[in-house]
Amino acid sequence: MIARPADAAMDAEVLVIGSGAGGATTAAVLAEAGIDVLVVEEGEWVEQGDTVPFSLDQMDRQYRAGGVTVALGLPSVAYTEGRCAGGGTEVNSGLYWRPPGELLARWREDFRIADFDPAELLSIADEVETVLHVGTDPAGPTAPSEAMRRGADALGWRNGEIPRWMRHDGSGAGQRQSMTRTYLPRAAASGARIVTGCRVDRLELDGDRAVAAHTTLPDGRTGRITFRDVFVCGGAIQSPALLQRSGIRGNIGRSLAVHPTVKLAARFADPLNIPDDVPVHQVKEFAPHLSFGGSASNPGLVALSLLDEWNGFRDAVVDWPRISVYYAAITSQGRGRVFSVPRLRDPIVTYHLTARDRALLRSGLGRLALLMLEAGADTVFPSFRGAPAVRTRKHVATMERLFSANRASVMTVHLCSTVPIGEEAARCGADSFGRVHGATNIHVNDASLLPTAPGVNPQATVMAFAIRNARRFAAGESHG
Amino acid sequence: MQQVRALPVVGGFADRLLAEDLPDLPHQRRAEVVGFVARRVDGLPSFTRFGVLLIGVVFRALLAVPGGWGLGRVVLRLPLPFVAEYPRLVRSLGYAYVWEHWPSTTPTGGAA
Repeated sequence: MIARPADAAMDAEVLVIGSGAGGATTAAVLAEAGIDVLVVEEGEWVEQGDTVPFSLDQMDRQYRAGGVTVALGLPSVAYTEGRCAGGGTEVNSGLYWRPPGELLARWREDFRIADFDPAELLSIADEVETVLHVGTDPAGPTAPSEAMRRGADALGWRNGEIPRWMRHDGSGAGQRQSMTRTYLPRAAASGARIVTGCRVDRLELDGDRAVAAHTTLPDGRTGRITFRDVFVCGGAIQSPALLQRSGIRGNIGRSLAVHPTVKLAARFADPLNIPDDVPVHQVKEFAPHLSFGGSASNPGLVALSLLDEWNGFRDAVVDWPRISVYYAAITSQGRGRVFSVPRLRDPIVTYHLTARDRALLRSGLGRLALLMLEAGADTVFPSFRGAPAVRTRKHVATMERLFSANRASVMTVHLCSTVPIGEEAARCGADSFGRVHGATNIHVNDASLLPTAPGVNPQATVMAFAIRNARRFAAGESHG
Repeated sequence: MQQVRALPVVGGFADRLLAEDLPDLPHQRRAEVVGFVARRVDGLPSFTRFGVLLIGVVFRALLAVPGGWGLGRVVLRLPLPFVAEYPRLVRSLGYAYVWEHWPSTTPTGGAA
């Protein structure tokens, strides 16, 4: 482990707050450029293998609030945030999607991102893919993945195995190439200091400059870190919340974008459940508006997927070895907000689904049920109150008729767009390289910057943006 | 609000709800699950925790009067925003814990 506890008083040229996909890459780029970097992480450093993936123990140790976080609304949208060294990269599915080139071009135009060349970002993505050993699984698809492929092929729907950032040894065993395995060690090797268990409560401002970060340590003591520049990389919820607590307003926290998902459990004739991993196939026939994939499916999560219609579905819980959970995710037109309230430690998060979102969730769940029937599922159990068990195509139509987003378990793991990047004054919270509008030395460099939800797993896009922006900052430093 | 612990507020409700849902769940296991639910409520973000404890106080008061549980069940079936989330939260945490820790548990909570 390369992290150490924080001291009450610390100093750095550049303070990086957060150590996930944005913070770790920022720290590595800046440290390798010879800049004195201090990374502060609120959570603990957990070595891979110390917790079972997707278990309650992992949620206790590596997720914020044990994974029980929600954006309020009708319906509320459950979400999760990593809270550990490496952030979300330690706990997510590890699936890798390059930033879509046409989306990057649209962002450039719509949000007026200056000096922004999609080709440059894709070139950075090439580098990231090498560092993270992005590739397909040499062992081939797992049974839950194979079920997705089978169903999609039967329907003629576009699908494929999504590469992961996983390094495979000679025996075929995979090692996740998360930030604690890649960019954080690189940053440390170049002199960056990494401290864990240190929460940043607020930034101390002097006019348009931040001069210090006020912190709370695990034993309850408070601390203060001085710096010349600060990169806020706490993710799309915590970054805007910190800026707001520090008195920074503008377009901060007003445009939360997510990929809302609804789920179902599919039961097959033969065992297929893999408790500690997720399927790597995705179906993109209706992308970018609608995508299908597989979820974590340990017995506890299977029980959760049956919960909304427990009286009707509960007998299936004993069949969990023959059940896997799948999701339908949409690109949402809805938006949410993050706002900090004085004296409250945590921000309030809201999200509003539009009528179009609700219709898309309905049709998405229906198509996903159809996909599972074609894959050979004997029964599909949709996750909403009042749902029928689906065994035939006719049942799919009935299910769609009964579906209501307000009665569904809507959730998401992709959060972004709370400090959009660009020069479009009406919408953007940070300039074209992530510096907060109206501030001279406060930068945001994480998923908050993405102008909209990208429609694919966003980690690669976040990393590419973060590296681009950090390089620009380092180049400015070298030019004095 | 930081000083209020969740167990005295939500413990009775969670115990009663799980006893009805999973009648064959051994008492010792149910107590373990209730403890887990309370710990998770303690760890909720500030505003959510405040809301859950507020609703919890109301239901604790209902549980204390004769016939209160029946009335509470009626209230929980009403389409009241956020109130209906309370039993859902307890069940989500409780069921996840039960089947993760004892995966061969029967649908009524019995040890297979």
